Amino acid sequence: MKPRHGRYRTAVRYLLIEHGRNRLAIVLLIAFVPIWYLLISSVIPSGSVDFRFRVTGHFIHVDGRQLSLLTAGLNALTLIVGFVIFTSTRRGMRFDHRLVLSGYPQWIVIAAKVTSVTVVALAVAVYTSVILLIFWGPQSVPLVVVSYAAAALAYGSLGLFLGVLLRGELEGFFLVIMVSLIDTFIQNPIGNPAANKDFVQALPTYASTQLYVAGGFSDLVPWPFIALTLAWPAALALLGLLIFWLRTRVPNSGSS
Amino acid sequence: MTGDTIAAAEPPVLSAEGLIKSFGRRQVLRGVSFSVTAGTLVGIVGENGAGKSTLLKILVGELRPDQGTVKRRGTNGYCPQAPTLNEALTVAQHLDYFAAAYGLADLSYGRELVDRLAYENYRGDRIGALSGGTQQKLNLTLALMHKPAVLLLDEPYQGFDWETYLRFWDLVAELRADGRAVLVISHLIFEQRRFDRIFRLKSGRLELDAG
Repeated sequence: MKPRHGRYRTAVRYLLIEHGRNRLAIVLLIAFVPIWYLLISSVIPSGSVDFRFRVTGHFIHVDGRQLSLLTAGLNALTLIVGFVIFTSTRRGMRFDHRLVLSGYPQWIVIAAKVTSVTVVALAVAVYTSVILLIFWGPQSVPLVVVSYAAAALAYGSLGLFLGVLLRGELEGFFLVIMVSLIDTFIQNPIGNPAANKDFVQALPTYASTQLYVAGGFSDLVPWPFIALTLAWPAALALLGLLIFWLRTRVPNSGSS
Repeated sequence: MTGDTIAAAEPPVLSAEGLIKSFGRRQVLRGVSFSVTAGTLVGIVGENGAGKSTLLKILVGELRPDQGTVKRRGTNGYCPQAPTLNEALTVAQHLDYFAAAYGLADLSYGRELVDRLAYENYRGDRIGALSGGTQQKLNLTLALMHKPAVLLLDEPYQGFDWETYLRFWDLVAELRADGRAVLVISHLIFEQRRFDRIFRLKSGRLELDAG
């Protein structure tokens, strides 16, 4: 017997419907993102800031308000995508296991999860970039979109990883918030000498930050950094999906 | 009487041999063996915490036993104790999702079950908006909609009103008559006459219940 629709298509469709019905995420997207940009552009003064631009290896002078706008967008989207994917993954674990026990091939469920994380990350990245344009026009919008998409992928993967690992919702939310805060705060050079230290290269959005600065203030296209943005998403997603696979596999196939 | 195997001429559709399962130091199952043949209705009763759900999870493949084997012939239908549904999706979307899982070409029997369990008015409603009883109806429907060879039902009628409880037994009787094996696990079995065999899970072992 053939299923009415393709299994992959069906799983992707329902995962996306589920994400779309996450009211908190929708409210955050509609309200939080523009308010956050508005707040930053009103509060942070315009003025030159030294940023260690590792694409060229030199310090560059950028406008503090514009840099903060870029950081605000990144901060907002990492939180939103992290929440959405964490919530859906954690709440769906037993349901996904039931689907697998009912015959849904595990690899299709996994492929559908990867697809849905990617779609959500891209959609939120494009939306956050478009809202940014209301407040300021970076030199290369596509590069900013790429950097946002990469950061969204990293936090979508973090949400997936925490969702398969943690039982409670509160600790997941707390971890997403804390990781995002540490990640974006330490890289912000405004009044923060730590932003120039080498250890920031280990942070999840390090490459994305370098990329959006390239997109915001230069005409460079730093391909090695574009490739580097995929390291964190790939590592976290692989780890998360491995745990998902272990937790939803059918240990006793038992049919004879 | 402690013979754990139902004597039958035809090969069983479900059999368990020497199942042992512990959680930490607590041994929940201490060597459970039994089998179920096609067209029979078997009950397993036991007090709260006796290990009934653990046994069912092992039978269905959700848990791995520390020792022992489970053999199944044909398809399974599993109704977990707690409704395992997706709050963001509607009843109709659940039917469609599980039709894809089971590889069903059409949903006619699933829709028939929705009608017979009398929750057709909720087809377009999301799970989060449904009562506990209606969620349980869907939980059961998802286990039956592909007419499996073996049905494994964990407290399947909890939260049902009397009418639905009777409809549930009508459905089970039909499935048994159609050659399906049905295993019902419950802490309370009111009407023992409905069953071909009832086992009692006690101290990690299965005993044939004298009634």
